[in-house]
Amino acid sequence: MRQILLTLVILAGLAGSAFGETIITTVNGMVCAFCATGIEKTFRKQPEVATVKVDLPKKRVVITTKPGNTLGDAKIQEIVTYSGYTMGKIERQK
Amino acid sequence: MKISYLLLLSSVLTSTVAPPAPAKPLSYVGGTMVMQENDETGNTLTVDYTFDPHFALGLYAKRDIGGKEFYTIGPQLNTLIKRWNLPQGQGNIFGMTGAGMARQGSDNQPAAWAALLADYETRRVFLSYEPRLMYARDIETSFWQRAYAGFAPYLANYDELNTWLLIRVDHHPAKKDHFVVTPVLRFFYKTIWLEAGYSSNSHVMVNWTVQF
Repeated sequence: MRQILLTLVILAGLAGSAFGETIITTVNGMVCAFCATGIEKTFRKQPEVATVKVDLPKKRVVITTKPGNTLGDAKIQEIVTYSGYTMGKIERQK
Repeated sequence: MKISYLLLLSSVLTSTVAPPAPAKPLSYVGGTMVMQENDETGNTLTVDYTFDPHFALGLYAKRDIGGKEFYTIGPQLNTLIKRWNLPQGQGNIFGMTGAGMARQGSDNQPAAWAALLADYETRRVFLSYEPRLMYARDIETSFWQRAYAGFAPYLANYDELNTWLLIRVDHHPAKKDHFVVTPVLRFFYKTIWLEAGYSSNSHVMVNWTVQF
């Protein structure tokens, strides 16, 4: 039983590092494709980031990090602010 | 003497923002934007590089028609003076300033221009107002203003074609037709932006912007 639990813990850890993290942040002021481009390009430049997808109707940016990487809230806020927008809430999915 | 006067004028004016801007006059940091306008007032080409979230530096060139025919060219600084990021919209005040040369026939004169652009945009509504001052000594010294109002008939996502229906009203007392109204159809897809219209004084308008 202990071995099974240990295996599950190790597998969960590996899965986390193998698939990276999905971060969803809402961006206030992101109302057009021109606005979204700046945010998308700035996130793409980050070495931790694997993919970026903009959801304009929901004013959300969905970021997937590379395996074993993450992007802190402060860094996300910095990028959004640097792009000229205001960050809303952040959700994280492992 | 003329050169030192121009340099002084440039340094004073480049501390502010730009001329008729169909799109926002700043893109993202590290982004270059090429804007071209063809309308009843002439042909304009602007190339800007955004080097800071609040500033873009570029080159402005215009051939003016519809009144006196002359050419203007010079560097221009675009500034984001104020932005309001709202959950459902965005409001901006931009400033645009430049200085350079104006040429009419063989007559060259120092030129300077300054404009403000205030806009408010949601996913459905777009409003803008832009007053502009132009100084080209004996060639033309004028005040000009432009307003846009329009709406998106459908809501498109980032990777889809966005369409807008707008009305543009121009008031330029230095031109033959002081008031001009232009119904405009605007499209944009990601970083490519195009608008076309036909003005009340029978001119075809085609403007485009590309960011890269």
